[in-house]
Amino acid sequence: MTDSTTFHELCHTIQTIRETRGSNAKIATCADYLSQLSDDTLYLASRFIGEGAFDNISGKRASVGSRTSGLAAADFCAIDYDLVFKPCRTATGSSSETIEKLMFATPAAREKREPKKWGLSEIEEVFDRLFYVSSRSDKQDILLDTWQQMTPVEIKYFIRMLGQGSLRIGFETRSLVSAIAKAFGHESETVRYAHMITGSTGKTAVLAKNNRLDEATFKLFHPLSFMLASPIESRALDSLDGYICEEKFDGMRCQLHASGNEIKLFSRDLNDITKSFPDIISTYAGKELPPTVLDGEICVFRDNTIQPFQLLQKRMGVKKPGKKILGQYPVIFIAYDLLYNGSRPIFDEILNERRTQLRKIAREYNIPMTLQFQVDDREHLETLFEKALAHGNEGLMLKKEESTYEYGQRRKSWLKVKKPGGTFDTVMMYAHAGSGKRGGTYSDFTLGISVKEDERYEEEFIPIGKAYGGYTDEELKRMNKKIKELTVEKYGPTLGLLPQLVIEIEFDDVQINKRTKAGYTLRLPRFKAIRWDLGPGDVDTLKDVERYYQQKIDAERTDQSENPSFFRPTEVEE
Amino acid sequence: MRLKKAGYQGIFLPDLGIAMDGTHPDADYTFVTHAHADHMHRNRSAHTHASRPTLRLMEHRGFRGSSEALGFGEPLVTDRFSVTLYPAGHILGSAMIYVESDEGSLLYTGDYRTPPSPATEGFEAPPQADFLITEATFGLPIYRWKTNEELADEVRTFAQHTLEEGYTPVFLAYNLGKAQEIMHLCSDLDHPIMIHGAGHKLCDVYDEAGIDLGPYEAYDRESCEGKILVCPSSALSGGFASNVRKKRIAYCSGWAALESRRTQLTVDKLIPISDHLDFYELIDFCEQLSPKKVYITHTPNPDVVKHFLDERGINSSFLNLEMESDD
Repeated sequence: MTDSTTFHELCHTIQTIRETRGSNAKIATCADYLSQLSDDTLYLASRFIGEGAFDNISGKRASVGSRTSGLAAADFCAIDYDLVFKPCRTATGSSSETIEKLMFATPAAREKREPKKWGLSEIEEVFDRLFYVSSRSDKQDILLDTWQQMTPVEIKYFIRMLGQGSLRIGFETRSLVSAIAKAFGHESETVRYAHMITGSTGKTAVLAKNNRLDEATFKLFHPLSFMLASPIESRALDSLDGYICEEKFDGMRCQLHASGNEIKLFSRDLNDITKSFPDIISTYAGKELPPTVLDGEICVFRDNTIQPFQLLQKRMGVKKPGKKILGQYPVIFIAYDLLYNGSRPIFDEILNERRTQLRKIAREYNIPMTLQFQVDDREHLETLFEKALAHGNEGLMLKKEESTYEYGQRRKSWLKVKKPGGTFDTVMMYAHAGSGKRGGTYSDFTLGISVKEDERYEEEFIPIGKAYGGYTDEELKRMNKKIKELTVEKYGPTLGLLPQLVIEIEFDDVQINKRTKAGYTLRLPRFKAIRWDLGPGDVDTLKDVERYYQQKIDAERTDQSENPSFFRPTEVEE
Repeated sequence: MRLKKAGYQGIFLPDLGIAMDGTHPDADYTFVTHAHADHMHRNRSAHTHASRPTLRLMEHRGFRGSSEALGFGEPLVTDRFSVTLYPAGHILGSAMIYVESDEGSLLYTGDYRTPPSPATEGFEAPPQADFLITEATFGLPIYRWKTNEELADEVRTFAQHTLEEGYTPVFLAYNLGKAQEIMHLCSDLDHPIMIHGAGHKLCDVYDEAGIDLGPYEAYDRESCEGKILVCPSSALSGGFASNVRKKRIAYCSGWAALESRRTQLTVDKLIPISDHLDFYELIDFCEQLSPKKVYITHTPNPDVVKHFLDERGINSSFLNLEMESDD
């Protein structure tokens, strides 16, 4: 047992995983490494690989952005941030990789760095210190101090861990779970289950090592990863047999934990959002529920009608909403699943069973829950879909009646049926150097709409959104060729273009955003088609965007008095 | 010193009537630094001076005009100037062109690498030049190469380990220069090598120069398994060795320094072995020649190079050979 794996060994293993092709070989490499570790280091190593600097559920974040680390690195390497660092980042397509290279290459960094053997717990202390200080300069002081004693590859992964996202080594949580299973001789499924319960790769690994996976018990007030839905288009569906249908709300996904008068709310990214919704808290605290976990949706609900997402937006991110805002945008929590039933977790029971128990609790405690509909055939599905849209909802959810609660996964058990979003014809204004696997090409684009005839603006076009993706490799090549011809200015990684290339974009929704020039942003903009056949004169205008937004808000919404999308079992039953 | 554009990416010195790496209607003399496609012209009517291996390689690649070989360090003297070729260490035959005249001395580097590729004549430079026209392909401070020894070791180790594990090693390397360097590095292993046809026909020039390329033959699909294979990356998608299931692929190029190449090319190993000098070698070289003026070419980042030269008090500007029109 190497009780003291170093951070360097960990990073070396991560780099080896990066350079290994094939998931089985990657898993074997990782398993081999993990199997040698003692409890404490195993916990940290699994956490650093699987989640980042902190346990996701801890809510802690280092809050070190790429500008903070980039500026610190430029300083450390004695180079100019704008003139030198930025072009380097454009070439690599990755800030952390740029820093790794500069740490190896620049004379200043070569002279300053004196790598030492960092234990994993020492690295944990550094992460914690970064969490506790808040100013950029304090954070940079810690970074400079730490980097001075690291090798370039350690620095690269140190920075990626701070991001609390993927390490970008082609090794996601599912692979790590398999590696933990392999390292300690368990079934992947058992480990996966423990991970769902604990929400922590570190804890899961330690339990697996000590043959204590059965101790992984769900804890109230610790969020559980959400089960996710796949778009129906991406999953060829032969038959609707075995699926049940609910309306899909255009709200905010939420997990509600309750026990007596204690209530906590968690968002889809497992953040605690309890404070933002005191109205929900007081409603549920009054119910004195037994230990319960509900999965559901928060919507603005007024005049017996579900209100548009645009209004819910006024509540999102407001940490302490005042009286006025609470009165203007009252919210409701609508449950559609039950994960903890008063005495035990029930996510491995099938949907029908969970719903039966949900209904019982809902009846007893007056909780609004979704209605479910049997789908007879495709035509019936169409009717239900139209009704959902009439309610102002997004569409439908199809759920497999026999399915268990598959946390954190997108499979066939839940399917979402959504109306295709709106489209605008836009013009490409700027091209940005891609990152990651698209490094070295221009793959992200700022798209503009026309304000030529708009007296509020002096420009011809203003940006409305940024899109990356939705095109093929061939199209990307062809666009890059055209972009070369259209380039008139260069600002570091960004090219300013003659407004000529017309892109038809599709989006889910239009939202108000005061920080942008247009005053609006698009939700999930993506390429629909490159319109080689259109010119800048065909581009849609800001007025078109405003019209779309207004129509959305003004759209007639049928209230919930007849044919509702949700109900309160107490009121209708018995 | 006046500079003009010659051909696609070449340089014309109008006061001396010299064209380099391109042709010009007013040129009295035309020089080629090396036989890569973006440097050698194909104009039959331009009588061409270059090193002997460069001329031989140009013939292999379709040059049919008249020519004269010029040895390294043997000046060509006219009444207006004297021209000397210096070995550039980039590929076999590659030369830097040193022009001395009443206008002062000028060194045009073409593509160069120092320390040189082991599959070349080496590297040598004049001690000083008033004007330096230098390529800066890797003109960013993220580019610092490992030593030639470390790289040679990576190449051999990859080949050896791959073979030991029962797999066929495939090196993705440009047909002229990089391919032969890889073969030369592997020659110690004394293991059969197969090289892609387009590169194979150039190997005899290396043989003539006495560079050991190991026991090699031209690529043959049926018998290639278990040999060390060398081909350009474009050949792989064209079916090269697609019948060999157990193979491992190494991409050998300066661009292999970038992680994004791994996913873009789907390879097992990136070996950042370049036939250009790195950023720091470039800046040092500029300083060493103490030029009055440096002209920077062949780079996406002239501003960064200029910034570093400015810091060292060296006057420089970007010579945009790709974009500038003739006059």
